[in-house]
Amino acid sequence: MKFENCKLIIDKEYPKLLKEIGKDAPKQLYYKGKWDGEIFENCLAVVGSRRMTTYGKQVVERIVGEAAAAGITIVSGFMYGVDETAHEAALRVGGRTIAVMPCGIDLIHPEYQQDLYAEILNNKGLVVSEYEGNMQPSIWTYPRRNRIVAGLSKAALIVEAGEKSGSLITANFAKKFKRKLFVVPGPITSETSKGANQLIKQGAAMVTSARDILDYYSLRKLNFEKSSPYPAIAGPRPNPDFQNLFSVLEEQIIERLQREPLEIDILARTLGISASKLGTTLSLMQLKGQIKLEGNRYYVN
Amino acid sequence: MLIKIKSAANRGLETIGVDVEVNTASRGLPGFDIVGLADKAVDESKERVKTAIISSRIEFPQKKITVNLAPADVPKEGSVYDLPIAVGILSTLTNCKIPEKSLFFGELSLDGSLRHTKGALLMALFAKESGFENIFVPKDSANEAAVIKGIKVFPVENLSQLLLHFSERECILPAVYQKTEEEAFDNLIEFDMRDVLGQEQAKRAMEIAAAGGHNILMVGSPGTGKTMLARALPGILPPLNEKESLEVTKIHSSAGTIPPGGSLITIRQFRSPHHTGSPAGLIGGGTKPHPGEISLAHRGVLFLDEFNEFPRSVLEALRQPLEDGYVMISRSKERAMYPARFMLVASANPCPCGYLNHPKKTCVCSPRQIKKYQKRISGPLLDRIDLHVDVPPVDVNELSENQKASEFLEPSSAIKERVILAREKQTERLRNDSIHVNAEMKNNHIKKYCKLSKEVEQILQQAGVKFQLSARAYLKMIKVARTIADLESSSEITISHMAEALQYRPKGYEGV
Repeated sequence: MKFENCKLIIDKEYPKLLKEIGKDAPKQLYYKGKWDGEIFENCLAVVGSRRMTTYGKQVVERIVGEAAAAGITIVSGFMYGVDETAHEAALRVGGRTIAVMPCGIDLIHPEYQQDLYAEILNNKGLVVSEYEGNMQPSIWTYPRRNRIVAGLSKAALIVEAGEKSGSLITANFAKKFKRKLFVVPGPITSETSKGANQLIKQGAAMVTSARDILDYYSLRKLNFEKSSPYPAIAGPRPNPDFQNLFSVLEEQIIERLQREPLEIDILARTLGISASKLGTTLSLMQLKGQIKLEGNRYYVN
Repeated sequence: MLIKIKSAANRGLETIGVDVEVNTASRGLPGFDIVGLADKAVDESKERVKTAIISSRIEFPQKKITVNLAPADVPKEGSVYDLPIAVGILSTLTNCKIPEKSLFFGELSLDGSLRHTKGALLMALFAKESGFENIFVPKDSANEAAVIKGIKVFPVENLSQLLLHFSERECILPAVYQKTEEEAFDNLIEFDMRDVLGQEQAKRAMEIAAAGGHNILMVGSPGTGKTMLARALPGILPPLNEKESLEVTKIHSSAGTIPPGGSLITIRQFRSPHHTGSPAGLIGGGTKPHPGEISLAHRGVLFLDEFNEFPRSVLEALRQPLEDGYVMISRSKERAMYPARFMLVASANPCPCGYLNHPKKTCVCSPRQIKKYQKRISGPLLDRIDLHVDVPPVDVNELSENQKASEFLEPSSAIKERVILAREKQTERLRNDSIHVNAEMKNNHIKKYCKLSKEVEQILQQAGVKFQLSARAYLKMIKVARTIADLESSSEITISHMAEALQYRPKGYEGV
């Protein structure tokens, strides 16, 4: 029996790691994109909450970006939230990524992420699913999908998982398949980090930088500009004349924001200056790329 | 015997003269008929007039009475013809002398007294322009009509009093305009800006909006103070000048929203229609064109709370009036033009559940829902809103005593002073272009009055790339920067003005 765009478990090209999981391994794997064995060599599953916070976003962009740049293939579930951001972070640094769908191979789910879908395929990535045709996703296909995500990967990285998060299912599969489990710690006050912190307590490896993951994969970190894994957004260079304006205030602002991201009103209150003057400075700092606005808080770049 | 009494009909903001012809014939069966395209309210005036005359202890004649409202092809509506009809009948009965060049209008009560009737100001204005000398109005409407100088406004209490006046036994003294709202002004503003705790940036945005007449969109979770900020806005707006005052009063006179005894409107109106309102209610309309909320908010504030809960059709209908400052309501039989130059203050939740970016609560919406929710406001409509500001939740416990106590915060009156100064600068600059505030500037005005230095231009270009600003947003930033410069009495737009303006750029809520 021979299907188009499908690899059977008996095929030679069927991913080795996935086969290792025994009776959990899907009998067939449908795919979109160009199949080549290389992509499965250094896979890292990245999963986390759909309700990702800005913290989660920052973490994924930083750690996943660096990992993907070093040659790790990012495997995730194409859901919005952490999954989506992980795929994007990999693509942004020119890395490869695999999206495992909870639905038939011909569907895009969620549909509005079709741009991301196209981009994954355009960048030598793969979209895979064990289901054929136009099968709709349903409540039981999501956890089934997670076993493929975990099965394809040498290790799994959990970023932000709530107490009853689906990411914990993936984590359990990873444990079951004897894969390394990496977890990014979150604030103990955050609902979306309760599950993740619990995993660390149970003995998962805590990740605080991409280094921790790259060591496991025995890969060398690429040289990046300080703390910014992606190239600065192109644009005219700032004029040196106003580069040094407001510099004392800027230092104060950076100092506060390094401690924690803040809203403009709170920043104005703690620094004791008017919202008008602070707004001016923040705009200029944003233009210079020193800080950025996410939601309604400012972060140090 | 035939008598002609002068009255008038309001159609939109225009008024046309109506002759009320009353004929009492001794021949024919007794009866009382009104002809001349009278609507139900006019037709019912037969009963009111008859009873009112009897209540005034005058015997109603058992004759054939015919009333014609000329011109006969213009539809007549409302109760304004009660008084002229009654006067017509009375004068045929009593042979009293009706002063020449007099206009009558007003609704009768069954006991013979006159009730407050809408449109008094428009009638008085028409009377003056058409060369009348006297106008007889209900007492409760007299202060409204008395705004118009150069015409005698007689406040009539009831029919008997009017008859005594005609027979010169007891004179009605012409009404003199008395200011009404001025004293109560402070009580009419619900909130002072100092009542709003925290929200430093939003308050600043309000100040800029007030100074330049800019439309503003506030985005924030429920209970963060959006409504309070909006309601405090009229308190920092400059008072209406005489001309504006009259414009506003005319609209309200035509809509009948001036209370009995009320008069010239001297404060900026604050209208906040509910989002379930109909397009006709908001924009204006009906089979006979009536002014809508946008016209009632003329020269004032139109506050649309829960902006994206409004039906799309209603929101899109706002676009043209926002651009032109007036609305033309056309119906098959009538059309009317109402001014509608208002400041749009809109408030919206960031997502359906309202808790996106909330520091304490978790948002339960999917990105798809959020996108769909934010998309309800179309791009072209958002393009007409110059200032976009976040109104984040404030933790009152985190405020220090000084930041909490309202006596340490800036009161509305202080902000108002700055706003007035900034508006003066604009009026002076835009004098020759028949516009008043920066928000009204079109491309050619921006080119003429908002010359940017090289450095400022550079900042704006950089921002355009970094924040992905559209060409329209670009122009908005220049307008807002101009207003910020005016607030500082600066003739040049400097880097810091432009940088501050960028704080109020459209963020995320683009509907793209």
